[in-house]
Amino acid sequence: MFAQLIASGLVNGSVYALVALGMTVLYRSTTIVNFCHGEFFMLGAFAVLIPLQTFGFSYAESIVFSLIFLFLVGGAVEKILMRPLQHAPHISLAMMTIALSYLFKGVSRFFFGREFKPLQPLIQGRPIEIGSVILLPQDLLTVGFSLLIVVGFFFFFQKTQTGKVIQAASQTPRGASLVGINVPMLRNLMWGVGATLGAVAGILIAPTTLVYPDMGAHMLVQAFAAMTLGGFGSLPGAVIGALSLGMLENLIGGYLSSSLVEITSYLAIIAVLIVRPQGIMGEWRQGRG
Amino acid sequence: MLDVRNLTVRYAGLTAVDDLSFTVARGEVFTLMGPNGAGKTTAFNAIAGFVKPTAGNVFFQGRNIGHMAPEQIAALGIRRTFQNNGILREMTVLENVLTGLELSTPSSFWGCVTGWPASTRAERGATDRARAMLRQMDIAALADRPAGDLSFGQQRLVEIARAMVAGAQLIMLDEPAVGLSPGDRLHLGQALRELAAGGITILLVEHVQDLVMAVSDTVLVLNYGKKIAQSPPSEIRDNQDVLEVYLGHG
Amino acid sequence: MDEPNMTTTLAAPARGSARRIGLLVLLALLCLLPLAINDYLQFVTNTMLVYCLVAVGLNVVMGYLGQLAFASAAFFGIGAYAAGLSMVYMGLSFPVAMVIGTACGGLAGALVGLPALRVRGYYLAIITLAFGELMRWVYVHADTVTFGSGGFNVPAITFFNAHIGDKGKYYLFLATVVIGVGATSLLLRSRFGRAFVAVRNNELAAASLGINVNRTKVIAFAWSGLITGLAGALYAALNGRVTPDTFGISQMLMHFAIVMIGGLGSLAGSIIGAVLLTGLPELLRNFPGLEEIVFSLLLILVLFLMPKGVGGFLAGHIPWLRERLYREGKDA
Repeated sequence: MFAQLIASGLVNGSVYALVALGMTVLYRSTTIVNFCHGEFFMLGAFAVLIPLQTFGFSYAESIVFSLIFLFLVGGAVEKILMRPLQHAPHISLAMMTIALSYLFKGVSRFFFGREFKPLQPLIQGRPIEIGSVILLPQDLLTVGFSLLIVVGFFFFFQKTQTGKVIQAASQTPRGASLVGINVPMLRNLMWGVGATLGAVAGILIAPTTLVYPDMGAHMLVQAFAAMTLGGFGSLPGAVIGALSLGMLENLIGGYLSSSLVEITSYLAIIAVLIVRPQGIMGEWRQGRG
Repeated sequence: MLDVRNLTVRYAGLTAVDDLSFTVARGEVFTLMGPNGAGKTTAFNAIAGFVKPTAGNVFFQGRNIGHMAPEQIAALGIRRTFQNNGILREMTVLENVLTGLELSTPSSFWGCVTGWPASTRAERGATDRARAMLRQMDIAALADRPAGDLSFGQQRLVEIARAMVAGAQLIMLDEPAVGLSPGDRLHLGQALRELAAGGITILLVEHVQDLVMAVSDTVLVLNYGKKIAQSPPSEIRDNQDVLEVYLGHG
Repeated sequence: MDEPNMTTTLAAPARGSARRIGLLVLLALLCLLPLAINDYLQFVTNTMLVYCLVAVGLNVVMGYLGQLAFASAAFFGIGAYAAGLSMVYMGLSFPVAMVIGTACGGLAGALVGLPALRVRGYYLAIITLAFGELMRWVYVHADTVTFGSGGFNVPAITFFNAHIGDKGKYYLFLATVVIGVGATSLLLRSRFGRAFVAVRNNELAAASLGINVNRTKVIAFAWSGLITGLAGALYAALNGRVTPDTFGISQMLMHFAIVMIGGLGSLAGSIIGAVLLTGLPELLRNFPGLEEIVFSLLLILVLFLMPKGVGGFLAGHIPWLRERLYREGKDA
């Protein structure tokens, strides 16, 4: 049972990792916590559903649509709503993301009401047995994809020139603009990327959780918990925290009680912030200009 | 009044204050001077309770205050100002000074909440004292302006008024002359001398020479955390070690 | 620009009595209100009163102390459950139940104040949100006590064995809200209110003046919890029913929206925000999602056009609305 719990935990954790990674990328480049990130997740799932079921596009086409759509949404949010407020106090920016979260939820509720819509998995097929562990093909795809993205991310940020430049620009935006880096465009890009990451996570997990307007809310908390556990603002921390959270939830559900699963993230948050606020990897702070 | 013995403050491998000792008598104006990074602000903060001494002791009226929290030190009758604005920006000038009377206003929590006459009277008494202080410092006209709207010099005066309003016995000022016009500086110097004449002890960190010379009874010069000279201002000027510190390593 | 200050200082006492008269007139009108409206509107008005208290409670921590704490839905729920359950299990009358709800809210507030001493900013926001969700889980799973996810009915409120309807509740609520807001106003004008703002502006300076920063924070949270718990007790009486679902993130967002739209740090703004945002759901109740859309667009609008909230906007134009310690919103 232990192996199964761990394996399932890693599957869930990889989804959390995608969301947490997206949120962390945004946090690093803008120092704001995006309270509407769960809604990017939700919109990503809906954005696959609509072309697929209403307009009859293929799954692949729908996915492409969703990713592009969310990328644009992220960019639009940054340009229209975040940028004008960039010099406002932090609380206004936080409020804006909260307002957006509400808005996106309202819009999807307006169109889809109280339905929980199913989405078929990308890969159908029989469950696969690996030793004593049983996983669905979709699960393996999820883990594989997440792994790919995470590794790609790290490779990009740590090894490529562009990636390092972006890191530097996030850390010291004023210095970056002095050297001629287009910081606003970078920020816009990061929002697009973050939103897209959320969408990918939504698309991957929607077959399991079903698609409904509130699906982002719990994911937001789990992403927060992952970031807090791993170290707020730390990219590796987001991934480690996410995987740990996934496994923790499954272990608690399996060994203690299934009713505890839903509050595992809350307990994790409270415990970490009281015992070791900087999380596993320690905090990342933006430097001065 | 104030007795600093072997004060040492070390952090991050750096010795900011090294075995510093001095005594300040009642009604004395005592100034700490030294080049940037000499440790005078650290020593100041250690005495005021904002930095923990690594070694040594600080005695105020015979009481060891070395490891007390800032609010406890304030309760003993010590007040301080801040180098980079300790002003409370979103309060009016009057409210800033009123906050200085926090420890002297005997209104209770439940008394305030219910509007109990005793508490209301206490609050009104505090307001009167605050207004009197503003009049004394000649800034009564600014009473209802948000403190954040004032000029730097005016804010300094408000901060000083706030430090003085509760009748503190030791007032510590951290570079009060910064940002003040020469006229304001003169005004400040006069106010300080008047306070000292009234028996209030003043500890100053300052590097604006004319204020230091005009106001101080004793000057202590620090360099690299160590005391290199301590004497009345007139003698400091001729002190070779001091001159070297200021001219030599520049 | 020193001359106008003399005028302001002199006008202050005159302004004060004009304000007092205005408030008395308002109160008189409010007492006559039930005669003019039907039962449904009465219910909506009662709901507005409850949310006035909620907004004021949240404003103490968010507007005055300046901390981003998302625990007010939790305090609200704790007040409702404490009051409701004490009536169900102990057969207590509503006034006593109100006191219990208030006290439990205050205790919860003090408890939440403790982690606030260690963490701040977003961390505090997240940990308080987590606390709220945790409480909801408790309501659902401690079902032997709390009646679980279905919730429970609150016994009818009686006054000397006479059943009190919405109109009767109105006067009780009105009196409670006037007392609650009044007490909060007195608190904020006292040295405690100053301590809150001092801690918000400059903790070090506050400490240097003898203010115990930690104790001040806990006091602010405790008072916020107390007022919000009281509102929760009223809410239980208002609806006659207490369920866990009510006190989740949506509730918290509503509280947050009310305070931000009304204006951080403005008591008048809190009341305006409460009235505005309580009325809206009633208008939009038949359209799924529309309530959220309108709320969020309002919030976004306010963010762009009225950063100090509706209360602040009005205060900028109507001097006698201006309150002391009005939050400028420059630092967050």
